[in-house]
Amino acid sequence: MNDDELITVLREQRGKISMDTPVEQIVSRGRAARARRRLPGVAVALGAAAATAFALTSALPASHPAGPHNAKLAAWTVVRQADGAILVTISELKDPAGLQSTLRADGVPASVSFAGQQNPACQGYPYGGSQSQRRQLLTTIADPAGSPNAVVIHPGAIPSGAGLQISALFQNGQGSQGLVGVSAELVQASLQCTGS
Amino acid sequence: MANQGLDFAEFYREAKDKCLFTVLVSVGDRDTAQDLVAEAFARAWASWRTVSRHPAPAAWVVRTALNSGISRWRRRRRELPVADPARVADQPAAEWGGDGSVDPRIMAALLRLPARQRQVVALRLFLDLDTAGTAQVLGIAPGTVQAHLGRALAALRDDLVPAPKENQS
Repeated sequence: MNDDELITVLREQRGKISMDTPVEQIVSRGRAARARRRLPGVAVALGAAAATAFALTSALPASHPAGPHNAKLAAWTVVRQADGAILVTISELKDPAGLQSTLRADGVPASVSFAGQQNPACQGYPYGGSQSQRRQLLTTIADPAGSPNAVVIHPGAIPSGAGLQISALFQNGQGSQGLVGVSAELVQASLQCTGS
Repeated sequence: MANQGLDFAEFYREAKDKCLFTVLVSVGDRDTAQDLVAEAFARAWASWRTVSRHPAPAAWVVRTALNSGISRWRRRRRELPVADPARVADQPAAEWGGDGSVDPRIMAALLRLPARQRQVVALRLFLDLDTAGTAQVLGIAPGTVQAHLGRALAALRDDLVPAPKENQS
């Protein structure tokens, strides 16, 4: 068998395996990829708006009615959106207590832990809602690298008697470096767990 | 926008099978290859204005798929599953998908090649890139592409063509 005959035999195999993913599914996935690509720009814009709002709020006299809390640190941001949802983005595992206080001040009963043991006082909340109802309550957002580093919380949709347990870890388990992965779940609200 | 969608659909229909086979030969696992290629086509759709002007859009898709495979490996800190050639040879052809007539012996022989030789064979023979295009995708010299291809063909011939039996008289 010479090279040409061998190449012909090899090339014959090429047409015998087919990709059965419909183009509509590819396009849908492409739309999601495009949305993910745009997310950092939106986050930066929201972060900048948050920083401005925070600076303005800090500069106001103490008697001024408190507005929505928008806080931005290098490690994490909490941004109140126009529809009342709260966008929490975590980029470094620093100051979980600060994030917890900020969320509680924004009316979200929350327990926050970074790269460590979760609060043992927290008990799971028996949520019977559907996936779609859960999405109306909580949505996790991935960064362009595919790491879920942000969560959108809709405080009004949190069931009475429930709160949130938010955890963040380094995805690759390398200790102090790498992509941050964020997860959030419903827990039973209590003084020891969520502060109220 | 409608024109963009039409062009992409046509490109997808024409290129999807050869891109899948090219990536399959490179990574050695059908499910992984299909997922990587689907993701790469999705990214091509998201950047179609740019990709459609690329001199070889199918090569762009394959390179994106292979790069994604490497990124996944780095993220997970473990190797991507690569089929064991010995097991592949015994696998029913239908498990590779398609119409079930792919030759498992050939697939096993391809998977026995060193990774770089496999990539060269995949890009040169299955994606129909020329030597320069293959060298560009892999970031190696054109002479190296030819050397890898020559060695790969020799190894495949040894593997697939049984040596003539010597006369025992």
